[in-house]
Order: sequence, then C-alpha cells, then structure tokens
Amino acid sequence: MTTAILEARDLTKSYGDRVVVDHLDLSCRRGTVLGLLGPNGAGKTTTLRMLYGFVPPDEGTIYYGGKRFSENRAEAKRMIGVSTQDDSLDYDFTVAQNLLIYASYFRPRVENLEGRVAELLERFDLTPYANESPHVLSGGYVRRLLIARSIVHRPSVLFLDEPTTGLDPSARLDVWELIDGMRADGLGIVLTTHYMDEAERLSDELLVIHEGRNVVHGEPHRVIDSVLGDHVIIVPRAEPAREDIAAWLRDRGAEQVATVLGELRVPVSKEDLAALTARFGEATWQVRPPNLDDLFIALARRNGRSR
Amino acid sequence: MGSLTAVANWRSWAVFRRNALVYLRNWRTAVIPPAMEPVIFFLAFGIGFGGFIEDLDYRGTMINYATYVAPGLIAYTGFGTPYYEALYSAYVRMFYQKTWDGILATQVELPSVVWGEILWGAVRGMVNISIVAVVITVFDLLGVVDVKLEFLVFMPMLGFVAGCAFASFALIFTATVPAIDHMNYPVFLIGWPVSLVSNTFFPVEPQSAALRALMQLNPVYQLAECARGLLVLGNPGSHLLGLLGSTALFLVPCTLLSVRLTRRRVLGD
Repeated sequence: MTTAILEARDLTKSYGDRVVVDHLDLSCRRGTVLGLLGPNGAGKTTTLRMLYGFVPPDEGTIYYGGKRFSENRAEAKRMIGVSTQDDSLDYDFTVAQNLLIYASYFRPRVENLEGRVAELLERFDLTPYANESPHVLSGGYVRRLLIARSIVHRPSVLFLDEPTTGLDPSARLDVWELIDGMRADGLGIVLTTHYMDEAERLSDELLVIHEGRNVVHGEPHRVIDSVLGDHVIIVPRAEPAREDIAAWLRDRGAEQVATVLGELRVPVSKEDLAALTARFGEATWQVRPPNLDDLFIALARRNGRSR
Repeated sequence: MGSLTAVANWRSWAVFRRNALVYLRNWRTAVIPPAMEPVIFFLAFGIGFGGFIEDLDYRGTMINYATYVAPGLIAYTGFGTPYYEALYSAYVRMFYQKTWDGILATQVELPSVVWGEILWGAVRGMVNISIVAVVITVFDLLGVVDVKLEFLVFMPMLGFVAGCAFASFALIFTATVPAIDHMNYPVFLIGWPVSLVSNTFFPVEPQSAALRALMQLNPVYQLAECARGLLVLGNPGSHLLGLLGSTALFLVPCTLLSVRLTRRRVLGD
C-alpha cells in the first residue's frame, strides 16, 4: 500500500446553521483514482473547494504529501492540479499560450517549460491547434486543454470535476484514456462525475457522500454491495402484480423501492429474491447486478425523505 | 497572505503580467481610442468652449481656459482609466471569462488577484496619461496651451499612485454588482459626477467649509490640482501631499474591502 498523497480528516464546513460537510475523511494515493460521488447537494463541491484551498474548513485537517495544508499552503498548492467543471480557459491567448501563462502562476518555475508544453500538446493531441485560439476547439478538445493545463506544472494530485460532462460518447472515451494514462504516470486523481459507468470504470476507490457525510467508501463493487445488496429486480409497468410485489417487499423491510418511468426497481438480497420467486412465481421481472445508478437513485430518495 | 502585503508578492505581478500581455496583443485598439478621447475633449472644451471664456486667474497667474483644462484632462484620464478598467474589464474577466477561477486554481491567492487588477488598472492609467501628455505637448507646440512641458514626465507617475486608489475603489462594485448592467450605478452616480466636480474642467469652490474639507479627501481633485500646479506654475504646492494622503486614505480600506467582497463572490466564503 502506497502512502496517501492527499489525506483529509474530519473535514467539516457549515454555512449558517446548515452543516454542508460533516466530519468527512478521505484519502487518495499516487497512481489511483478516487471517485467522489453523491447526489446534488451532498457536499461534493464544498469538499473540493476545501481541498483546493478556496475555503477553509471549520474543523478538520488536510494533508498533502504528509504535510498540513494550512501550514504549507504554497508548497501544497504547487502539488495540486485543478480542472474545474466550468470552462476557465483564457480565450485571450492561443492554445499553447494557455499552457505557458498557466505555468507562470507556479513557483518554483516549471523546468524546461517549452519542452513541457510541447509534450502536453502532443500527448493531448492539441499540436495542430497550438497557435489557434481555443475558440476553434470542440467541446472534447476544450476539455483536453483544460486537463493539460491543470498538469502543466507536474502536480502530484489532480482534481477532475466532472471532466466529461457535455461530451459526446467518443470524446468521453478519449478523456477516459487520458485519465487512465495520467493514473499510470503516478498521479493521484480525485474524480467527481455524475456518470456512473465512468465512476465504476475509472475509480480504484469510491467515496459516496450524502448530506456531507461518508456513506460508504471502498472499491466500486464493494461500495455497491454494501449499500444495495446482491441483485436489483426490475418489475415492468405492465406487470399486474407490480403493486403487490412492491407492498410485499416493503413488508419485508425493503427501504429502496423506486419507481422509474413506471418500472419498479428494488435492490434485494439473495434470500429475498428466492422468497419473491416462491411468492410471485407467475409474475414477470428482470434481475441484474446493482450498479451505481441504483446507488444514486437510492441515495437521492433517502435524501428526499430526510428533507 | 495579507491583503495589503500581497502587492509585493510575485503572484500579484503574475496576474498583472497576464493582463499586460493581453493588452500588448491588442495594442492598436487599446491605444488609438484613448488617444482620440483627449483630442476630442481638447477640441470641444479647450478650443470650442474655451473660445467663449476669458482668461482665468490660477493662483495669481492668468491662463487661458485650454491651459486650465490640460491638467484636468490628466486627472480625468488618471481617474477614468483605472476606474472603468477595474469596473468593466475586471468584471468580464471575473464573471464572463472566468479568468479568475482559472488563476485561483493555481498558487495565486485571492488578494493577489485583486492586487493584480489594481496594479494593472493603475498602469493602464499611466499609459493613457502618457498618451494625453503627448497630445498636450502637440497643443503646446501649436500654441493652444501654455504648460511647463518638462513637468509632463511626472504625470504618469502621479497617475499611477492615484490610479491604485481608483481601481481599488472600483473593485468594490465589481465584487458586488449582480450583473454588468448594474455598472450604470457606479458609472453615472459616482464616476461622472466625481470626474466633473474635481476641478478638472472648471474650478469648484464650495462656500461650505465642510464641503471644502471633503474636497481635500478626493484624490481626483488632488490629482487635478497637483498636475495643474506642476504644469502651470512648476510647483504642486500642498497638493502632492494631499494626493498621497487621500490616495492612502482610499487605497487601504478599499483594498481590504475589495478582497473581502471578492472572496465572498468568487470563492463563496
């Protein structure tokens, strides 16, 4: 097990009376991707803003490379790269100049900057656009440039905030490849995304937060198993026994009975599935492994109830 | 990083450098219009309007109206350039272009972003005052105005000092207006009145002692009188001290407030 390059303990942040992040722990190791997930309003953005150093935590400590962020701020900020969700490219400059000007915001200065910029342009397939304005870039290439810019100073930790939002499937896959490559280079990556397949495929570990608290943390399949169980059954809208099945499952203690476009979706254990089959043998339903979509739906419903 | 000491930090100058590089890329459009404005003002006020006005007594020296207006144009430019740069251009960088978001994701801290904008606004003021100085020189050689040309070289420096105060003041509005349309308030309710009632284009001599004292705190007035004293008499009198004092009086609280308000707006803290 490699040492965590980023570690946060007991992070807490409140705005007024509202606790947005509540004693949250997280860590990210070199060469791994930590997927930070949670429904809207779960506290992801505030957590990231504390980790970037935009806002100070009310309680808790952040360490980069084993050193306290609050006491080694400049050094720590030299270690991190941030690719925010919003397009914050500098459209007054060309593609290559975006990398050069961004590097000027770091000390010690980036060694062999010209070489570094050429290397990134090549790696991110941006060389043909080096002297063009970013205005000519497609959405996928804008995202490439944002990511390239965030690592121009050779950071140790990279924050990717919804890096594929708004991209077409092909561009998404390209970004996945780039992320995978950066992980292989030894970067510790903190990834937030609303695409569940992306989180499952890219993350070595997932941290699911809900109402500012750590709901579950671990390898993707373990996270899903621990919250949802073994299977998800999907009862179609046209199934006459649909309501009876829902009621029966609720009686057996199923908390996460969700309806999606008229379909009933319920995570169940092996035992419940066996009992359901025995009780509603004539009914029609599908069974599949649970995924992060199910987890999100479950968390969102839990969130709705708690409000 | 302290909100005031950040001025000396490399980060502030990195932000300044970024703005300067953009300016240099667009130097034609950045230089020609500001050069035209004082020419138009000179033609309209100095020659056109001035033709109807008799010579004025300025601290015991009779001068024509165009000569009176020339230092006023220095003050007007020294105020307007950093003020509007820090209002509009900074707002565009903050809100529309999200340039500050990108910068803040680096080692640059928020006080340095604010200082980078203050310094850049003040240097823009210096550049435009230099252009006005060239225009004044031309009119002096044509005999339209009669100023001590050797003192023109000090005008950009005076403009830089006062420009820091004007830019820091403007950034308070940049950090607070909900949308760019709301810039009309600081432009029309503050910018225009202040630039007109500060002895720029006509002398203002209020009867009330309180108003006269208030004028002493106005850096635009101090800049106009300091420039006029130097260009007409070769002596700024007490206005050099007045300029430094009123600038400090504006700059310190306005910078502290700008940093605080910008932090709340941009970082949500």
